Amino acid sequence: MTQASDTIRQRQIRQGLIMVAPAIAILLLVFAYPIGRAFWLSLFTQNLGTQLEATFSGLSNYQRIVGDGRFWLTLWNTTVFTSLSIVTELIIGMSFALILDQAFRGRGLVRTAALLPWALPTAVMGLAWAWIFNDQFGIANDLLTRLGLISTNITWLGDPTRAMLALIFADVWKTTPFIAILLLAGLQSISGDLYEAHAIDGASPWQSFWQITLPLVAPQMVIALLFRFAQAFGIFDLVQVMTGGGPAGATETVSIYIYATVRRYLDFGYGAALVVVTFLLLILAVAIAAYFLSRTRLNVTGER
Amino acid sequence: MTVAQSPEQSASGLQINWQRLALWIGVLAMVLFCLAPALWQLLTSFKVNEAITAIPNVYFPSPSQLTLDHYLSLGWIFWRYIANSAIVSLLSTVVCLATGAPAAYALARLRIPGERIILVCVLIVSLFPYVLLFLGLLEVVRLFGLGNNYLALIVPYTGINLPLTILVLRSFFQKLPQDLEDSAKVDGYTTAQMLWQIVLPLTIPALVTTGILTFIFAWNEFIFALTFITRDTMKTIPVAVAQIGGASIYEVPYGPIAAATVLGTLPLILLVLCFQRRIVQGITAGAVKG
Amino acid sequence: MKQRLQRIWQRWRRGRSEPRWLWAIASLVLVLAIALPVWSQQPVKVRTMMQALEKAQWQSMEAAFEAENPDIDLEIIEAPNDTNLVEDLYTSAFLLGDSPYDLVYLDIVWVPKFAAAGWLLDLSDRFPEPERDPFLEGDVDGGTYQGGLYRMPFRSDGGMLYYRTDMLTEAGYEPPETFTELIEISRDLQAQDIAEWGYIWQGKQYEGLSAMFVEILAGFGAFWVNPDTLEVGLDAPEAIAAVEFLRSTIDEGISPPGVTTYAEEETRRLFQDGETVFLRNWPYVASLAADSEIAGQFAIKPMAHLPNEASGACQGGWGLGISATSRHPDEAWRVAEYISSEAAQKAFILETGYVPSRRSLFTDPDLVAKYPYYPQLLEVVENSVLRPPIAQYAQTSDILQRYLSAALTGRMTPEAAMQAAARETRSILNRD
Repeated sequence: MTQASDTIRQRQIRQGLIMVAPAIAILLLVFAYPIGRAFWLSLFTQNLGTQLEATFSGLSNYQRIVGDGRFWLTLWNTTVFTSLSIVTELIIGMSFALILDQAFRGRGLVRTAALLPWALPTAVMGLAWAWIFNDQFGIANDLLTRLGLISTNITWLGDPTRAMLALIFADVWKTTPFIAILLLAGLQSISGDLYEAHAIDGASPWQSFWQITLPLVAPQMVIALLFRFAQAFGIFDLVQVMTGGGPAGATETVSIYIYATVRRYLDFGYGAALVVVTFLLLILAVAIAAYFLSRTRLNVTGER
Repeated sequence: MTVAQSPEQSASGLQINWQRLALWIGVLAMVLFCLAPALWQLLTSFKVNEAITAIPNVYFPSPSQLTLDHYLSLGWIFWRYIANSAIVSLLSTVVCLATGAPAAYALARLRIPGERIILVCVLIVSLFPYVLLFLGLLEVVRLFGLGNNYLALIVPYTGINLPLTILVLRSFFQKLPQDLEDSAKVDGYTTAQMLWQIVLPLTIPALVTTGILTFIFAWNEFIFALTFITRDTMKTIPVAVAQIGGASIYEVPYGPIAAATVLGTLPLILLVLCFQRRIVQGITAGAVKG
Repeated sequence: MKQRLQRIWQRWRRGRSEPRWLWAIASLVLVLAIALPVWSQQPVKVRTMMQALEKAQWQSMEAAFEAENPDIDLEIIEAPNDTNLVEDLYTSAFLLGDSPYDLVYLDIVWVPKFAAAGWLLDLSDRFPEPERDPFLEGDVDGGTYQGGLYRMPFRSDGGMLYYRTDMLTEAGYEPPETFTELIEISRDLQAQDIAEWGYIWQGKQYEGLSAMFVEILAGFGAFWVNPDTLEVGLDAPEAIAAVEFLRSTIDEGISPPGVTTYAEEETRRLFQDGETVFLRNWPYVASLAADSEIAGQFAIKPMAHLPNEASGACQGGWGLGISATSRHPDEAWRVAEYISSEAAQKAFILETGYVPSRRSLFTDPDLVAKYPYYPQLLEVVENSVLRPPIAQYAQTSDILQRYLSAALTGRMTPEAAMQAAARETRSILNRD
């Protein structure tokens, strides 16, 4: 008996490994070398000073990071950008998903419209947003003036705080659909019976939302947040096109700084060290978040 | 369209009206929020250059301020770029779902050894800022001689979207009732048959959702497409858009870029229109309830 | 070809007794086999890459070159119109070892970095001193790095001051020579409601900010980095005064606050829309403004300066370098030589309106007939200043942009900003 179940179990494991293998192969192909290379190269100095030859320099790149004010500033900028945009996106995205989950006439069209911002190419919309926020030609100022809210033009992208807000606005517009559609798919898998039973028990819609909807879409919500966290932290083209990191470096993000270090300054060893530190900090942040999540009652990983 | 069958119908008549009103206000706000900037692009694509940069802004152009020139300036080769983007996006989406779905199922149900490690690794690689992959990938692409080959885009796009696909699908597979698969096993289904004939049809919303997200990512990706493909006839839409020139190197040709964006996004809109209905099918559609 | 070889091979196998003359025939055939493709006009492919927009402008020059040189096939790969992306594409091509490009179409500020990285061939022997004389000094200097010459000048560029002749005449002013005059005229014309703004320039945090600033630095008698000694001059009192001047244009309402977000195009549009008296920009504006509402009502002159200093125009421009890994450096050189020739440059400029790098062309009758402002333009570009020709220019420029932007947007005082910028620049330059 035990032997038979062992072979079934073994077959299951073999099948499982075969099913996982192609995906793992692709992930290794795409990620293993770039990540491994970054860790390895971060121990070397390879820049114009060494004629682009890699010479071993131990942890000196990491020492340099400690005193690199620009890196810590970009890290701070990116953290502000990321946290503000993903929180806003989660709230708006959840409302979108709840609306789209309802039955109403023309729902298909509305659903498509709601996905449109995500479908438009970031680089192009970055240009459009920069133009919209232009102080003389932009419609942001034009509309606000017409509504009587402002009397003189605001230089949206010329002030560090306003430039950051403009970026966050553009990013929220662009990526809320990403969260909304993931949450919508989660909502769709919740059976309507649950709500009916809950309503019969006398619960208000507000209570149903907190007691049924939220716990049941929690896995999708966590996944959406995780990916938005990674995407927002790696934000590149939107900032590049809209502000170029300005003014005064106040919107420069980590990706922009590292990209410039590697591709324009040709400082490969140091760039690799920056990648490693950023990457480890992100992992740390997610690990801390996961630890606190595991202590709440939300069943996020789906483990039983 | 489907008739409303939501739970609130059982409540009193007045309540329904208030709820419907709130719903419609929400719908309206959402559509306005999502469409306004896109519509501004659409309008830009039809306006003559003087109207695009006019102060005060032109919201309702007169017939003399409208033109099709921006579209005509793109030329026939633009269809080629659309076709290129379609090939790359379609293939990477298919590969992504074809490899991601079995992996997600195995990770959700088959309790393979090292499951946790695999999951943690998938999670960790998803945190790596994708822009910073390009330098390492450049060497991989050269090692395999894939420059100017669609594989140089398809494989990275697949890899970048696999973590999302695996995690999302896994979360849906875990929600499926276990007895369903147990009874299928009793009926003599193999794991592959069960996945293909029972599990996947039940999780179509998740498949469509991740498929759409993957497709759109591949459609709009810029840095890899710029670096790995230099042959003009193989370029994808975002790269082609970046090559649209104005009267000078400094000028941003807003009109033609807007026209290219509109044309380049239409296929995506059609795609979403076709598939969005699938998002609502699945578990709630009735076949099985947990 | 193949059949002939086979026949020889068979004969060789049959008649092994007479190896000597057969060997002679065999080697002759071998030589023919190598040489024939060349005789049968198989052109050598020479590749380069440039902005899609400019590739289109090169078309007739490319055709003319190939007609004169049937043995060379010049292939131009299209790149996006954003200059940074072109640099990125060249960089990644070179990082992979064997660049697919034989010719590198170089912006002047890339030369030191590309040369220091060992990606370019030294052209000193092919382009010796005496032959450099007809070219603008700044264009030649911008192509040199540590004694070697890496770039053939093709088209030049330089920043300058545009002004509205009609507005100045209306208020009875001469075009300004000094910064003080520039400010005073602006203030007066704004007070008289002749113009909305006085002076508009590029203040966004990007490379154009550095380009604009070297002109102000020159006018204040200050410097950025000395390329020979790597001395940094950003925290000198003259340099701080230069920043204070720019800041004052915003504070006094002579420049709109939004100037800190403008790149070339925004400033050109405001000038063409008649919103401003003065504009700092590149020569490309001249031909575009000549087609606009303000046609015939503007002129150009070198940038303003302090009474006892000279004005400087930021040197820009493009030219061809030869990739160190090119397998056809001689053919590539012929392309570079051709496009720099007087005839080719003239034809190209007649068609496109770019700035020539050969001095004689500025006064060429055909060109002046089409572009009447070229003689003044010569005066501008002859007084050019280079952005520091050092290998770490990209990094140095980014530092300046960030702190200058901080000073202009009021985040830091000019003094604090320039001191910080100088400190960071020094630490970068001393590290390597």
